[in-house]
Amino acid sequence: MGGQHYLARKIAYAFVTLIFVLTFNFFLFRVLPGDPVGILARSERLTAADVAQLRSQYGLDQPIPRQYVTYFENTVQGRLGVSLRSGEQVSSLIAGRVWPTILLVGLGTILSTIVGVTVGIRGAWTRGSRFDRNTLYGALVFYAMPEGWLGMLLLILFAGTLHWFPAGGYASADSVGFHRILDIANHLILPCLTLTLGYIGSYSIIMRSSLLEVMNEDFVLTARAKGASDGVVRRHHAVPNAILPTATLIFLSFGYVLGGAIVIETVFSWPGIGLLTYDAIRQLDYPVIQAVFLLSSATVILATLLTDIMYGYLDPRVRAS
Amino acid sequence: MRRWIGTTLAATVLAMLTMVPGARAQSASPAGDVVLRVGETADLISANPYAVSAGSDWTVVTGQYDMLMKFSDEDLSPAPSLATGCTPSTDHLTWTCKLRPGLKWSDGQPLTSADVKFSYQFVIDHKIPQYRSYFSSDPVFETPDESTFIWKTDAPSFAFDMPPWVYVVPEHVWSQYDGDDLKTIKAVENVPSVVSGPFQLTAWDHGQGWTMTRNPNFWGPTPTIDRIEFSLYTNQEAMAQALKNGEIDVADGLTPGLYKSVQKTPNIVGQEVISDWWLNLAFNFGGQGPNADPLPALHDITVRKAIQMAIDKQAIVDKVYQGTADPGDTIIRQASTYWHLDIPAAQEIPFDPPGANDLLDQAGYVDTNGDGVREDPKTGDELRLRIPASQDTTGAVDAGQLIVGFLKEIGIAVDLQPVTDAKMNDFWAAGNFDAYIWYWSGDPDPNYQLFVYTSAQCGAWEDGCWKDPTFDALYEEQAKTMDREARLSIVQQAQQEAYDQIPSVVLAYPSLLQAYRSDRFTGWTPSPGANGYLLSTYNYDSLLSAHPVVGAAPSSSPSLPPAVWIVLLVVVVVVVIAALRRRRTSDDET
Repeated sequence: MGGQHYLARKIAYAFVTLIFVLTFNFFLFRVLPGDPVGILARSERLTAADVAQLRSQYGLDQPIPRQYVTYFENTVQGRLGVSLRSGEQVSSLIAGRVWPTILLVGLGTILSTIVGVTVGIRGAWTRGSRFDRNTLYGALVFYAMPEGWLGMLLLILFAGTLHWFPAGGYASADSVGFHRILDIANHLILPCLTLTLGYIGSYSIIMRSSLLEVMNEDFVLTARAKGASDGVVRRHHAVPNAILPTATLIFLSFGYVLGGAIVIETVFSWPGIGLLTYDAIRQLDYPVIQAVFLLSSATVILATLLTDIMYGYLDPRVRAS
Repeated sequence: MRRWIGTTLAATVLAMLTMVPGARAQSASPAGDVVLRVGETADLISANPYAVSAGSDWTVVTGQYDMLMKFSDEDLSPAPSLATGCTPSTDHLTWTCKLRPGLKWSDGQPLTSADVKFSYQFVIDHKIPQYRSYFSSDPVFETPDESTFIWKTDAPSFAFDMPPWVYVVPEHVWSQYDGDDLKTIKAVENVPSVVSGPFQLTAWDHGQGWTMTRNPNFWGPTPTIDRIEFSLYTNQEAMAQALKNGEIDVADGLTPGLYKSVQKTPNIVGQEVISDWWLNLAFNFGGQGPNADPLPALHDITVRKAIQMAIDKQAIVDKVYQGTADPGDTIIRQASTYWHLDIPAAQEIPFDPPGANDLLDQAGYVDTNGDGVREDPKTGDELRLRIPASQDTTGAVDAGQLIVGFLKEIGIAVDLQPVTDAKMNDFWAAGNFDAYIWYWSGDPDPNYQLFVYTSAQCGAWEDGCWKDPTFDALYEEQAKTMDREARLSIVQQAQQEAYDQIPSVVLAYPSLLQAYRSDRFTGWTPSPGANGYLLSTYNYDSLLSAHPVVGAAPSSSPSLPPAVWIVLLVVVVVVVIAALRRRRTSDDET
């Protein structure tokens, strides 16, 4: 019963947050400087009447409350509108960008999680060793390094100097079939490496510090006293009790996957959601910006909800409170 | 947990390792196709000739469609295209054009005068914003036979002496949209297209790039290039690296720094394209709306002239554009070589800060309170200019920062505000600024550029609301003068008037910077002239001239040398085996 109540409460919170985000998105983008139709009119030779017609076509001549109601109705029904810039359906625009982003950010998150957690566990377990010192400093350096700068360094080294990888893009235009898969993989390595290196630091540092805390607990001492081997103490007693903060971080990170990686996608010309967001903001393409922000907010809210549920499952004390 | 981690890590890395060694881009088309690979920083927004707006739209559309009369390779004056020529009646009320015989669309359908009539009428009927100004004389079209097109007006018109920058589209494709609203027409994706030009857009991966393929029915000389593959780069540095790597053959739109850098690589040749735009410091004279509050002193030509004299245009060229620009003078861009008035050095308003100080002193603009900024003797207000500068215009903000220093030397303060073009629109609408830094471009023909400076354009295109009856009269006169030479004289007088009255200081004519690999393609004949474009811009002729270097390796995506892959593979296998062994040992201990 308590579990069901906990779940219902969390879902209700998530729903309220989503409504708030929906509303906030609408108003946030309307206080940005500049008039989107002004930009359209500027690039074409329109008369005042044409501008008024454009404004009416896009519904921008309506009062703000009316625009909000229309926006809310349309969004709930899955109609995200058309891009002011290209006239394309926003939903198809986003659909075309989702896969590259999942591929890049998803894979980067998985790799950095695996490497970061492994390094963090080993570092904590062998605290003070050369491995621990080196990985800790390395993690701090990559964590502190702006990812755009790291990307540029890797690009200049591996694409420019060594000629090992392409300098950007998603795939060569003339690659097809199986070769296209290989070609995409070839283009993916540098941005994915940048992302992985950039993310490893946070996972390893958090994993290391939480494991260090747990290592001093009585139950670890008890396990050792029972004669359990080092590996068993680590795997069965210490790590499961230390994994909670890192697990939270991992779940939340997956929530950010659909938001894309704006800087890395821009540096490597990777046609994902991040790049779409960057372009849309520059062009004041309201429908696209709103949809992209809504999408990323919704996935973060979903990830948070899943994290809460997982927390309740992993730690009964949370559920009870 | 640990088994899961180990297995996933090994599987992921091994999968990537085994996948990639063969990952060199493979051509899907028959071997031996000549492929030109182009890097672009400007995205393709629309490939629809009725929706072209910015980015690479014009490059793509110009490579596909023909005008009835085109812009020439020499100076962008009218030249034969689909029509072998157009001749006016003596009163310039009727123009008769003869089409080439045997013209065909890329789908094999005949191209006739009916297509021309349809295309022009479509623009008029649907008020297509990009082209409608070419039909301001309300022409009527006639097609007595398949190869004859007649343009009739009630008043004399330039018609094909301009010529109208309107593309001829196939009636059998576009007639289905006749009568639709503009929004529907603009939403037509137009891929694959039916065209008359040398290339047709056959594939478009949004946000990544697009492919143009040779049109087998093209009426002109057969291009040696079978396909052009455009790749989009959102990072200029990455595009430069791709050119150095040999991933691409041409890089379009480089920054000055990268333009200089890539030319240090052997076999990369730079092309500094004659400027078709200019950087502008335009003054605000007020009148846009109730909130317009520009500095009254700007109405005094002495102040404007002093500002012009205090600005070191050569320093802007050298520091902002690293030498890849020319100092600006008049409001018709350099690329319109026939019409552009190049003010002789002896007659230019000189760069002379001491002279500017003298001018202001003599006119009574002196610093009365010793704060380093002069005051207006009429109002007592200090000469302080609010200048928004466009962040979206290459070099505008950097030039603005130099101008702050230049004007400080003559006792004029500047509050420079870098803004997006979106924000700039708000300034123009409200008029709450003293000057702004932005750019102008325009048609090869000067009519439109002069038009935007006329008094009637205050609140529309004349963002600074300059009003000069002499200039207005010159504009009207050139618009009625059908004789090309006589018109040239009037157009040059108008440029001189704008130069003397200084509604804006034309700061620089920056070049578009392109570079290509001379070990891959050669024979480029840029258009217009030797300093013209490599890619289709005003016409597509340069693309017809380029041909591959015999024996050159085709461009391709680089990949890791096999030796590196083998080493990486061995390292990963050793690490995985070591981890598994350690795990087993550890389990055995329990």
